[in-house]
Amino acid sequence: MLADAARAQEVFQATLREAAQLAADGEPPRDRAWFFRSARWRCVEKGEEGLQAEDVDLETEPLASNAPQQIGKLDPARLAIWISAAPDPQRTALALFYLDEFDHQELLSIAELKSTELAKLLSGARHEFQAWLDATVPIAEP
Amino acid sequence: MIALSRNQRMLVQCAPISDQHVNDRNMRSAIHRARKTEEFAVQQNFDRAVAELVRAIPVPLEIADWVPSETLLTPPRRGWKRLARNPVILATGIALAVIAGILVSHVLDRLNRFPGETTAEHLLTVASSTHSMMLDPVKTTAGSLGDFFFMKHRLAHYDVPLEFADLKTLGCRVFDDEEGERVAQVWVVEKRMQFFLFPAERDPKTGAVKHFNGWRYVDQDRWAGVVQEKNGVCFMAAVRGREKDLAAYIAKKD
Repeated sequence: MLADAARAQEVFQATLREAAQLAADGEPPRDRAWFFRSARWRCVEKGEEGLQAEDVDLETEPLASNAPQQIGKLDPARLAIWISAAPDPQRTALALFYLDEFDHQELLSIAELKSTELAKLLSGARHEFQAWLDATVPIAEP
Repeated sequence: MIALSRNQRMLVQCAPISDQHVNDRNMRSAIHRARKTEEFAVQQNFDRAVAELVRAIPVPLEIADWVPSETLLTPPRRGWKRLARNPVILATGIALAVIAGILVSHVLDRLNRFPGETTAEHLLTVASSTHSMMLDPVKTTAGSLGDFFFMKHRLAHYDVPLEFADLKTLGCRVFDDEEGERVAQVWVVEKRMQFFLFPAERDPKTGAVKHFNGWRYVDQDRWAGVVQEKNGVCFMAAVRGREKDLAAYIAKKD
């Protein structure tokens, strides 16, 4: 969500400290979702510091059948930057969804979204990402 | 995704990348239907490729190795429904319920026992095999037989309680039971009911009468009896039927 390992580590440590404090007070977090929820909000706060991505309407393209090949040519760090530049809650939805760690209900709970909102955010992001892929990693026509 | 409903289309857009995270019935149904479409296959391939790339994003080792420690989490609460479905707990629960049932049955049985119950049960057997012709015809009210038993048979306190005193009699007799105790038997018109008056049980060591309070029910071979002890003499009203057939008479006075 931050595309910055150092800031991600700060968020991680702050989240862990809070969990330890709660546990010491006799009220430990109820489940692992708490960690992700807490980390998510810290990331959102961190993201609001410093430079902000411009709020622009990105181009969209229908998903291409050869998209996996395009994605395969991408540098993971560039994907991280693309996700971190997305406006929230789309950024949250993408980060949590592509972690591939949660079922649908967990995802909605951590992202604090409704199904319709999540569907709209993911669908929009896919098409925007496809347009960006087409611009960044064009596949040569056979 | 032509064949999908609006809700299913919405769910398919959020379809988890790994099947292991599909544990929602509606989601499973939506994915099942969407699998027949090419559009969904393209979406799934796209998502899998992105997820693979996400896994390749470098994560600081400290974070990658970390798993929420159990010491930092509240121990999971096990709902009673989940517990009840556990076969071991279910079997234990059933066993305990059966044991509890047997214990309750024993306790109730003990609570309902009373001195003279064995004699009462035996007399119910007598009642079931008695014919009216075996008794001396006496047409009066049951309440007036106390004097008759005293005058003719020297049986003191062989009195029919008030609850049954007004019933008309057909006949009566006095006989010795197997233990040589004097038993008075009365046949009444109503419901072909029979009364028995017999000496209350005594303590074999002291010879003292074992008293008990109120009415006690007894049943034997489809015959029901209700017994009361007074002045060392037990009275039993017996009828072919159940306890409820006698309950109404007892309730009269209560």
